[in-house]
Amino acid sequence: MRGWDEGEEDRKESRRRLNEALSQSRKDISRSWRIYRRSLLAVVGLLMVFSVVTISILADKIAVEHPYRNLQDTENLWSIDYEPRRAHPFSEECDWHEQSISLTTQRRYGEMTVVAESDDKVGDDNRYYRDTLSVIELIHLEDNKGYELDTSLISIDPSNSSILVLSQELYDNMSLTTIWLTYEFDNEDMHIWWMPEGYQRCIFGTNDQGQDMFSKVLYGSRVSLKIGITVAMLTVTIGTIVGSVSGYFGGRVDEVIMRICDVFFAIPGLILAMAFVTAMSAMTSLTMPMWLGILIPILVLYAAFRSYLTSTVAGGQLSDRVMGSLMRNRNIFLGLFLFIFFIGGLPGASWPDLFGISDSRGWRIGAATGIILLLGAIGLADMRFIENTSFDGVEERVRKSLDWTNPWRYLTLRTVAVFAAAVVLYRFSGSTGDEIVVIKDFDRLWKIQAALIFTGWPGYARLIRGQVLYVKEMTFVEAARSVGAPSGRIMFRHILPNAWAPLLVAFTLDIGGTILSASGLSFIGLGAAPGTAEWGILVSESRRYFVFDPHLMLFPGLAIAATTLGFNLLGDGIRDVVDPKNRR
Amino acid sequence: MKLHEFVVRRLLLLIPVMIGVTILTFTISHLIPADAAAAQCGDKCGIVVGYTEDGDPISAYEANRERLGMNEPLIVQFWYYVNHLGEGDWGESSTYHRPVADVVKDAAPITLEMSFFALLIAYPLGITLGIISAVRQDRMFDHISRFFAIAFVSLPIFWFAMVLQLLFATQAPDSGVGGICDPIFGTDGGCFPIYGRHDPSLTYPEDGFASFYPAGGTGFHLIDSWFVTDGKLATLPTEFGSKWLLFKDTLMHLALPCACLGIASSGSLLRYMRASLLEVLHEDYVRTARAKGLSEFRVVIVHACRNALVPIVTILGFSIGGAIGGAVLTETIFAFNGMGRVAVKSIQYLDFPVIMGVTLITAAIFLLSNLIVDIMYAIIDPRVRLE
Repeated sequence: MRGWDEGEEDRKESRRRLNEALSQSRKDISRSWRIYRRSLLAVVGLLMVFSVVTISILADKIAVEHPYRNLQDTENLWSIDYEPRRAHPFSEECDWHEQSISLTTQRRYGEMTVVAESDDKVGDDNRYYRDTLSVIELIHLEDNKGYELDTSLISIDPSNSSILVLSQELYDNMSLTTIWLTYEFDNEDMHIWWMPEGYQRCIFGTNDQGQDMFSKVLYGSRVSLKIGITVAMLTVTIGTIVGSVSGYFGGRVDEVIMRICDVFFAIPGLILAMAFVTAMSAMTSLTMPMWLGILIPILVLYAAFRSYLTSTVAGGQLSDRVMGSLMRNRNIFLGLFLFIFFIGGLPGASWPDLFGISDSRGWRIGAATGIILLLGAIGLADMRFIENTSFDGVEERVRKSLDWTNPWRYLTLRTVAVFAAAVVLYRFSGSTGDEIVVIKDFDRLWKIQAALIFTGWPGYARLIRGQVLYVKEMTFVEAARSVGAPSGRIMFRHILPNAWAPLLVAFTLDIGGTILSASGLSFIGLGAAPGTAEWGILVSESRRYFVFDPHLMLFPGLAIAATTLGFNLLGDGIRDVVDPKNRR
Repeated sequence: MKLHEFVVRRLLLLIPVMIGVTILTFTISHLIPADAAAAQCGDKCGIVVGYTEDGDPISAYEANRERLGMNEPLIVQFWYYVNHLGEGDWGESSTYHRPVADVVKDAAPITLEMSFFALLIAYPLGITLGIISAVRQDRMFDHISRFFAIAFVSLPIFWFAMVLQLLFATQAPDSGVGGICDPIFGTDGGCFPIYGRHDPSLTYPEDGFASFYPAGGTGFHLIDSWFVTDGKLATLPTEFGSKWLLFKDTLMHLALPCACLGIASSGSLLRYMRASLLEVLHEDYVRTARAKGLSEFRVVIVHACRNALVPIVTILGFSIGGAIGGAVLTETIFAFNGMGRVAVKSIQYLDFPVIMGVTLITAAIFLLSNLIVDIMYAIIDPRVRLE
């Protein structure tokens, strides 16, 4: 064995290769960028996406006020009775405040002065407090019956602009009990730091609650981007797995998966998503039954070990010819059992509802064990499978397979890793009893996301299937198969890396599409909670007033359109880059 | 393979998909945590309606559960549902208090009519702009129309509908906002009405509304208003004095929603048409046609477009699906009692039989239209082998 200082040449070589790879990727990127920037629209799209992402990150810094309630923290209450209702963009009214003055109380304590204060706000420590406001000008005064009074009855203290002085006339007029004073105040909170001095206004106006629309639209970008990116990533993952399995294995697996996709395509996505959101309305956390947590690793192992078993126990790769009908159709049985398990595992449809059998834990474990045994039986107890297996030297082969230096040992590692992951998931997810908690706080945001994932994966599955069918016929896949690479390796190492281009395009376009569908769901009232800073909700809340106050719907709608447009333009640009016709 | 064999085979292939749709919607609608039995008896659930053989009281709630078969396992319930479906019994709606089949029968023509006119706007618009865009590739017109195509795809349709309402249908008093064509047409409050459409669903017998449509009408508003009988016309308000006026009113009501749906779906058509025509323009036969000295117009319209339009036909099936999906939001805003609005309402009020009925019908419409499109495709394009 060589010492650590003797490998200088190897290290040099590896450094050289690394540099080469880096410069190659730099070259690739610069070439892609050259193709990309040919299209002005694509560059505009990139800028739009970039600015939306920046805005969503910096929303705290740019926003004028905290939105009343957003999807991330619903506990954080905020004063809403701060500004006049439905003020138009850039209007003077944004700096107005209406305060009630109880003359009865004033007379009781014999005070002629009133402190100009904001309405109750809730502080960080959940206590109420009021800000002292600095009054600039008195606008309007009315009594509690709505009759207008002369504003000269109240004056501002010249030494302290926060103190309002009542006139003697007002104080003595016993017919007045409570008066309402509207005044313009120096609104430091509403001053937008990036606007020039003197423009202390709500630039998008305020909504019917008196909340600043600008801040709401800004914070809405967080929700929309979060939904868009999460849903697109998860649908891509699920669609890729399902689609590549379908395309690679073909035959009946393909047929079944494609029919399932047809089912999803036949129902309008929005209706399906709405029904799914409603179906999940009672869920507070997403849990997975224990048996499913056991079954998934076992199925993974079953898939991984099949080739392992056949090469060790059966002594060589089994061809379909020597298998019996059960063994040949094992994937169909597998799919059937998976389907039954999936239905049984869905929340709400527990076992007694489905089969009218007891819900006891013992029964579930028993059923799971039984099905696993059945699967094993299908795999192993097929008569022709046994007949065609030579059992000479089985012990030797098994011993070899358990040998740590065996090339298959990564399977053993994988086994350990899968079980370790399952145990870790179970231990740290706060799971109780026979349920594994996957998502602890399954709020409305997650419900929209789950519904959109549920309706979105078939599109990707079909796309990836087409790509895999195309790449599968290429020579390098055949080469990989001829040297005996297992299916999983061919699929994930050889086929998928060559099928990613349309996937990337679809992913980018899908972020935009998801933002559209999520806002549509919210608009109908099945998405985010009412009152949240979400664009669809904002448009939906503006429906009552939009004829008189179009700004209420204009800005959130434009925000949705601009974000979606940005992602669509970006996707189009990427399509041009990955298009083989443009690789010159 | 012969054409009729192909059709039969495709029809047989629809059966598993329809079964799948039934299973999927049934599963989801029965996952919804709501009690249909409690919804039916309301605050009278505690009333004792009978006694068991052992003398135990049966409440109205328990009787409802028994009647709706909710005590059975889910699989048995599904079996009952499919059996009833086979007998033509779709169940009874708990929000509309009518048989689901009637609800769907009223709602389906409205959506179909709207989708049809939306596609009637979308296809000519998208194809024409697509052709011009492809012919003038990489020029100013191309860039602008491509931008608008992507912009239309990116528009939230509910917002677009509201903007259209604001621009063309409403005039806010005193504010001068909206209704931009108000002065031109001199109509009251914008050019297009957004409410007050005569609706066949107003013909509920128990509601006591006067029926504006001949009994047993088709449900398609335009057809019904054209073939309205004189007896019916006499019962209408005076502004619909003739069937022409009624027809015009129906047309005006349809204009905005159809324009909204049509423009929104014309964007993708434009892009498809442009891509398809660009591909065809590089073919040899187009070069031949040019070499023969044909005018550029003839080359593009007669030689290239005929072939470029073939792939566009395949999208028709998906555009019908897309239009029905878009109808959910459009109908909600324009208050059309079509399938989309019925679906939204039934989901909000947890009306399972209607959810099931509407989903099954939309799925059937989508699948059948796709089948028709496939057959058309096979007929148009001789290169397509029937298999």
